[in-house]
Amino acid sequence: MAALKKRSITQSISGLLLLLIGVLIALPLVGAAEFSLRDGGRDKHSFKSYAWIFQQADFITNAVTTIEIAVVAVLVTFILMVPTVAWLHIYGKRYIKFVEVLTVLPLIIPVVALATGAALALPAWLQSTKYVLSMMYVVLAMPFTFRALDIGMRGVQLEILVAAGRNLGAPWRAVILKVITPVILPSIFAALFLTVALSLGEFTLAQLLHWTTFPTWVAVAAQGNILGATALSVGSLLTAWVLLFSFTFFDRKKTNHQEEE
Amino acid sequence: MAKDLILAQSLLEAEGTGARNRTGFSGLGIKKVLPLFPLTIFISVFFFWPIGAVFINAFKNNDGSFTWANYQLLFHEPYNKAFYNSVKLGLISALTGAIPGALVAIAIAQNGSVRLRKFIASISGVLANTGGVPLAFMFLAAFGPEGLATLAFKAMGLDLYGLGFTLFSFWGLVIIYSYFQIPIMVIVFMPALDSLRKEWRDAAYNLGASNTQYWLRVGIPLLTPSFVASFLLLFASGFSAFATARAMTVGNISLVPLIIGTLLDGNVTVNQFNLGYALAMGMIVVALLAMIPYLLIQARTSKWQR
Repeated sequence: MAALKKRSITQSISGLLLLLIGVLIALPLVGAAEFSLRDGGRDKHSFKSYAWIFQQADFITNAVTTIEIAVVAVLVTFILMVPTVAWLHIYGKRYIKFVEVLTVLPLIIPVVALATGAALALPAWLQSTKYVLSMMYVVLAMPFTFRALDIGMRGVQLEILVAAGRNLGAPWRAVILKVITPVILPSIFAALFLTVALSLGEFTLAQLLHWTTFPTWVAVAAQGNILGATALSVGSLLTAWVLLFSFTFFDRKKTNHQEEE
Repeated sequence: MAKDLILAQSLLEAEGTGARNRTGFSGLGIKKVLPLFPLTIFISVFFFWPIGAVFINAFKNNDGSFTWANYQLLFHEPYNKAFYNSVKLGLISALTGAIPGALVAIAIAQNGSVRLRKFIASISGVLANTGGVPLAFMFLAAFGPEGLATLAFKAMGLDLYGLGFTLFSFWGLVIIYSYFQIPIMVIVFMPALDSLRKEWRDAAYNLGASNTQYWLRVGIPLLTPSFVASFLLLFASGFSAFATARAMTVGNISLVPLIIGTLLDGNVTVNQFNLGYALAMGMIVVALLAMIPYLLIQARTSKWQR
């Protein structure tokens, strides 16, 4: 009984703590949102600064640039990572540890240092296209994409499913389309989503390799109009939020589906 | 532990078969790992090559011959000061992130509502990834002289700017950094808490332990390695953060990433390019010091956390 009582006390303490930190986290967010709606003074509010965003000629251009970079990063991640990790789980189990170590390295090296090296080493023809950023983002996201795919495929015991499919006489095409793809789809989706999230917000590499992307443009635009920059910041944060929440929703539906099975 | 042994064994076996193949049929060994080539080549080109180039060029002087001079400069003003500032910023922001973050994670674990957990996980995901420029502007807006947060504190009788507060300072950066450090801590520390099995707590209570005893004797010892690992990760993230610092400081705090950024912008002589490479190597060394123990601890704890 005493223990139970104590636990309810600690529960209310932890509840209070959550509330306090929640308020602290919300304060800058709410403050920034309110600030971005200001029109002239402290008391007048409007969507003027948000309208300003869409009046900027560079807004669409840079948003498109960033989306293009993200799309290529996602495609390369898909083509590079999915077959490799699938192969590792079906045939190359003994190499998983090696690839795990290999893919975690980008997490260790500061991005600034990697950017310095990329600017120094990569050939001019590669650096003259913005898709060099896509390639670097694939590398930066690798610690996360590999983990997501690895955990997903480990969970479904891919090699057993493939062996079963093959033994029952399914051709490879059918095994890939009807066995592998459906079971690893959630983890593919998670991996690609991580790549998108990273590509949309990355600043350091874009800045140091001298590309104007959406995040670097926000930094420049801010120097002219702090209200507009705040609106941009709040807007991009909310967009990221909606994206991530819709993702967790999708994810939950998937897991429910699996549980029902 | 056992898993590592098996992996080590399988790696040894892999080497063994590789050697046999080489003596028997030379093509087969390579053919077997052919599917690993695309990934390995990709990482080599876009990761090892750049890092290797930085490493080599940091030893070059203007004429391209060998020198230690670039590295020697790191130990002199203003670069030693920049390293000191960056390490300090990394350590302090890791501390101000790790402690509240761990408390939040524990609070969630204790309250245990699935919905709350998902909600906080999503928020943390967004906040940890937002970093950078938008974060800086949010704080500027909210904590600026006319910002809502400043006004709220003023209404509570705390005049921040009267006390000499400014976001454009070391402590200003610490405050802003904790905004992504706390969420990262929640994300990386949560799995450790989840793996504290309910049964252990029940066992402790059944054996007559109090809540305090459970935490002192069971909870904290089990969580310490994960806490240290998370702290190291936060240190690395605070130490090497670039975007927020760049958006926030107007050259009044000297930080290594900012100096490298300025050197790379090209308004400098070739000599300073090489200095930039040495600075980058210095960053890599500091980051390695934090990340290698982090990975080792993670590898150990992940065994019983599964």
